[in-house]
Amino acid sequence: MIDFSVYETQVPHISGYKCENCGTIFYPAPMVCRKCSQKRDPTTGRGWETFDLEGPCKLLTWTRVWNLPEGFNKKYLMFGMVEFPNGLRASGRIEMEGDPKMGMDLTASVIEADERPGKPVKVFVFS
Amino acid sequence: MAPKVGIVGIGHCRFGNSSDYDLVDVIAYSANDAFEDAGGLQLRKQVDQVFVGNMAAGMFNHQTSVASALVSRMDMEPVPAELIENGPASGASAIRLGYMAIASGMADVVLVAAGEVMRSVSGWEATNIVATMAHTEAEYNMGLTLPGFAGMFTRLYMEKYGMTERDLALVAVKDHANGALNKYAHVQIPVTIDAIADGESANVVNNYVAEPLRMYSTCPISDGSAAVILVNMDSPKAKLFKKKAIRIAGIGSATDTHCVHNRKDPLVLDAVRLSSQIAYKMAGIGPKDISFAELHDAFVIFELLNSEEVGFFERGKSFIGVRNHETEIGGRIPINTSGGLKAKGHPVGATGVSQVVELVRQLRGEAEESRQVKDPKYGMAVNFGGFGNNVITTILAKD
Repeated sequence: MIDFSVYETQVPHISGYKCENCGTIFYPAPMVCRKCSQKRDPTTGRGWETFDLEGPCKLLTWTRVWNLPEGFNKKYLMFGMVEFPNGLRASGRIEMEGDPKMGMDLTASVIEADERPGKPVKVFVFS
Repeated sequence: MAPKVGIVGIGHCRFGNSSDYDLVDVIAYSANDAFEDAGGLQLRKQVDQVFVGNMAAGMFNHQTSVASALVSRMDMEPVPAELIENGPASGASAIRLGYMAIASGMADVVLVAAGEVMRSVSGWEATNIVATMAHTEAEYNMGLTLPGFAGMFTRLYMEKYGMTERDLALVAVKDHANGALNKYAHVQIPVTIDAIADGESANVVNNYVAEPLRMYSTCPISDGSAAVILVNMDSPKAKLFKKKAIRIAGIGSATDTHCVHNRKDPLVLDAVRLSSQIAYKMAGIGPKDISFAELHDAFVIFELLNSEEVGFFERGKSFIGVRNHETEIGGRIPINTSGGLKAKGHPVGATGVSQVVELVRQLRGEAEESRQVKDPKYGMAVNFGGFGNNVITTILAKD
């Protein structure tokens, strides 16, 4: 029996990666640890922990882009670069009224987006 | 001791819209131009190696194996030929590998030809194709593009150093003044500071692309090609070419993190600084010896940052130099005498070779009289791949 409810309960997430050998954290995933040279096998994930990268973050810089690439039907989108409390940084979209302020506190969440052809992709939204 | 490597032929087409033409014909046009400059098309039979610079013909033109297509189009079989892809630094990478082929002793004459036909697709699609050089999961999938990164980068710089949008416009005015005098430039129309910054209609004429970057802070989407012929200056073959060689005095390359957010300070372009240090060391000179420079300015903020990283200005001071006219032709250190990517245009795969063609024209004294740098000795080119993550610096010398 196919349980279609499974699809409704899947929440998109983006992972950070932690080297179990030395504890160094990364985003996005490396194939070798910068600090201790531990390799990462993307098929087994052995030797590496993953954790959800979301929640509170601080805005480092931002832009409002008016010439979006093919597939995007909006007039503009805002993008930003943020830093999480654990020191990891990420780039993604900003959704808020008015202009963001550099240094402001935001919350990162993850959505699935399908503007471009192909499989939907996971996207950070900072709000 | 490695042989001396010089440039004995240059070729260039006018940048602009070549979308009615086949990419391989566009590249071959500049290659033919380079052979004619060097003494005649028969010299193509002296070539030991062909390197072709191109970023994305598979996506823009549904053409792969561009190097094989070029040698066949030019009746150069069975010469070895390879395609070099390093994003918008494909051209300079091809020159660097040409240098290495000669320095290794495997070749005495190398043709480096590079080109891109981007306007075969819509502007939206071209923006999307260029964005594929970003990290797929962490950048491209977010919807980020190169203008988007440049906008965030510019805001950081403005906040930290006090630069204004008007300062960005001053760079564009200077670049377009130079481009208006360059027969190869895509945009050959000068602009005034009143039109794009100070006047009542400036916000309309110079609209935002990726805030705080405006249209006149951003290069156009261009088609075009350029070519150079490299020779071992110590080889008997060098005598076959009529033009006096302009020597490659230094050439350096360096990389940085693929993801922009993973740089300790996103405003620091390590790969530019390191590649220029390698080139300076190889040439045995420093920033004060450079007579003029072509600096990769897909967005004008890059021209400013590059000019700081290669040592022409202190960090955070380059825009003051622009205010003081130091980077104009006739100034302390003329930058982007060709008009730069901003006005000359930026057919991504061709740009690195086009920059070096401009260095040769200036060092030979063959630039248009109205924009010729007076008695230059050393010229520098900085060519960016990605968002500053794979950079080549080339220094040419007039001996």
